[in-house]
Amino acid sequence: MTPMTRTTTGLDAQTAELLTGSLRKMLADNPDGSGLGDTLAELGWDEVLADDRPGATTLLFVEHGRALATSRVLDEVLLAELAPSLPAPGTGPRAPFYPLGTAAPVAPDAPLAGLLLGGLDGVAEVVVPVALDGQVGLSLVPADLVAAATRPAGGFDPASRWLLVDGPVAELTRYAGSEDGSRVWDRAVAVGRLAVAAEIIGVCAAALAIAVEHTSARVQYGRQIATFQAVRHRLSEAHVAIESARSVLAAAWKALEHPDGGSGAARLAKLRAGWAQAEVMRHALQVCGAMGLSLEHPLHRHVSRAAALDALLGGHRALTGQLGAELLTGAELDPIVEI
Amino acid sequence: MTAPTGAPAPVARPAGPGTEASLAEDLDAYRLALRDHLRTEPALESFRGRRYPSTEARMADHARLERLLHDAGWSRYGWPATVGGLGGDERHRAVLYDELAAAGLPVPGQHMLLETLGPPIVRFAPELAAAYLPAYLRGEEWWGQGFSEPEAGSDLASLRCRARRDGDTYAVTGQKLWTSHGATATRLVCLVRTGTPESRHRGLSMIMIDVDSPGVTVRPIAMANGDNELAEVFFDDVVVPTSRLIGAEGQGWAVAMYLLQFERAMYAWLSAAEALRRLRELRGQLAARAAGGRPVPDGAAARLGEAYAHLVALRARSAGTVRRLAVGDTVGPEASVDKVLLATAEICLHDVARDLLGDEFLFAAEGAAGGNALAAGTVEAAQWRTDWWFSRSATILGGSAEVQRTILADHVLGLPKEAKP
Ligand SMILES: Cc1cc2nc3c(=O)[nH]c(=O)nc-3n(C[C@H](O)[C@H](O)[C@H](O)COP(=O)(O)OP(=O)(O)OC[C@H]3O[C@@H](n4cnc5c(N)ncnc54)[C@H](O)[C@@H]3O)c2cc1C
Repeated sequence: MTPMTRTTTGLDAQTAELLTGSLRKMLADNPDGSGLGDTLAELGWDEVLADDRPGATTLLFVEHGRALATSRVLDEVLLAELAPSLPAPGTGPRAPFYPLGTAAPVAPDAPLAGLLLGGLDGVAEVVVPVALDGQVGLSLVPADLVAAATRPAGGFDPASRWLLVDGPVAELTRYAGSEDGSRVWDRAVAVGRLAVAAEIIGVCAAALAIAVEHTSARVQYGRQIATFQAVRHRLSEAHVAIESARSVLAAAWKALEHPDGGSGAARLAKLRAGWAQAEVMRHALQVCGAMGLSLEHPLHRHVSRAAALDALLGGHRALTGQLGAELLTGAELDPIVEI
Repeated sequence: MTAPTGAPAPVARPAGPGTEASLAEDLDAYRLALRDHLRTEPALESFRGRRYPSTEARMADHARLERLLHDAGWSRYGWPATVGGLGGDERHRAVLYDELAAAGLPVPGQHMLLETLGPPIVRFAPELAAAYLPAYLRGEEWWGQGFSEPEAGSDLASLRCRARRDGDTYAVTGQKLWTSHGATATRLVCLVRTGTPESRHRGLSMIMIDVDSPGVTVRPIAMANGDNELAEVFFDDVVVPTSRLIGAEGQGWAVAMYLLQFERAMYAWLSAAEALRRLRELRGQLAARAAGGRPVPDGAAARLGEAYAHLVALRARSAGTVRRLAVGDTVGPEASVDKVLLATAEICLHDVARDLLGDEFLFAAEGAAGGNALAAGTVEAAQWRTDWWFSRSATILGGSAEVQRTILADHVLGLPKEAKP
């Protein structure tokens, strides 16, 4: 496959469609994401990103979500942001550490509580953000030191392949590039949040499609259940939730172009995507009846994945509380969006 | 280029020929010049934080604000020269609302219906627009929208108010209900039946009727908050020239659909701008209370955060729709998403205000005075009470929450149609 021609002002509709098609097929065949790197290389992804990073990232992660894929492509997004302020990787690949809660950097003396997107085999170092006197230091912790504190995350989304890091880890104090660590980490979190928001949107769109299909086929009282207003209105609400998450995501990408931040907008985009998944899954589960609760039906995998993604880089409840607390103590009410 | 009539040009505006053309072309220049004017113009000061005893008093004072904005040129952008405008597009109007709110100023109440009625008149009745919109922009008159009737609410196409044609005039007989600003509006843009009673949406026409025409009777209707926000209007053989048609006879439904795009998109943006100002004020009121030793209730942070997030989501969605209107796109059934988000944000904001202000929202004991702030209530709380009632209309007016969801189910999700009873 040859890299596609593109305009420099962003992906045109035809290119986007072709890329979507290739990614969708690839991820459907390899939901564990193996080979995603090769596919992206074949598609000339670096060039696509250079042309239209918001469009390309959104497209990739929406498809990743739609396929419930489990690749570590999100790691690449964060590492690309962190790399310039880290020493060149010597010993091997790195993996970022994702703190739980509001994704705040960890205290140097506290045990780690967070996630890794996959196993540590072949990983040399874990990049851990550490809070240092109001600044953030990026610590490069040898993977074998972290490994002792990891267990498969399992739980609500057993298919995630994530690892939970839970426990004390030595050598958290080996810092690199702490000078602009705060800015770099904020930016990595912001871009990561936009990617995860897109992934959640993808999972939600797939769940809504399942619900539409189910309710249009299933007959009760002699009618398709999608002809009952109560069912129709739930599906409409799910649609509104997804569309509103898409709008905030697009606005947040725009805000990120400003050199002075966009992290507030990125947090909102993640928050709204998290809120959307709660809405969409509540409605989708209801209209699919008992079938949607069964192991054989695909819906539950979307419900679990969306909930897990919500927790990545800050769950919507935690972020809403954080945001509101800032407003109460006088933070500016940023309009985020201008005409 | 002619200078705006009336008051001198605002200081912030770069002087010289071509200024208006450049602000019409350059939205950012318009935004910055406007922002500067709104922050520095002393004549605007009296409109900040102002509370009014009645809708009539508010409309009268807001007409004064409209006049000031018009004479300084700002509210003329976004409208064509043929109606007294200075050019530009919907985005200029959206920026005006946003900057007013950001500067702590109200959007004049008249603009709710200007946004709804202005665009279809410009499009379908250019002569009427040229004759009457300039006075609207100057704050000298404002209009009502006569669609709903006692028996035609959600089912608008069942309306019965009749216009019988006789040569060059119609005789209009019937009733309109829930007309916003109907108590003070001087003209009504009405959807009337010109076809057979059974013709539903095919037999409708849009027409402008002067309230001072013989045979028109207006009765104000108070909302639950006591304000005469609405009116009912009776027509008894009111003679209206056919030149007052907006669009051709029988084209009323198409004009109404065109109008609804603006009602759903521009009104949503305008409301979001105002709501952000109100949320900022609420935050200030809570901070002042906390400083006075009355801490905010448990859970306040999450509630405020949620209200703000809903508002930003509405803004993000609505900005895209405004931009589409500005380039002349037709905004179809997807505009129902904007309307649902607007209702969600409005309801949330006002519930948060009610819950966080708590007793202060609920009680205002008569006769209590002096140091007992709780018992006496505050003007801020009184305003929230008034607004809370109005916020409940967000899921009702202009197509209810249920109607919007049905539109999305039918036309966006493509679900099988609801069974007919
Ligand atoms: C503050 C305010 C200002 C207004 N301003 C104007 C104005 O300026 N001009 C004007 O013409 N009108 C105005 N209206 C009227 C408004 O457009 C109507 O209220 C609206 O169309 C709904 O009609 P209704 O009130 O008769 O409610 P109904 O149509 O009687 O509806 C009542 C309830 O039943 C539900 N319902 C109705 N049909 C269905 C259905 N098919 N499926 C499911 N649920 C259904 C509705 O969703 C609603 O919840 C205003 C209303 C308010 C509250």
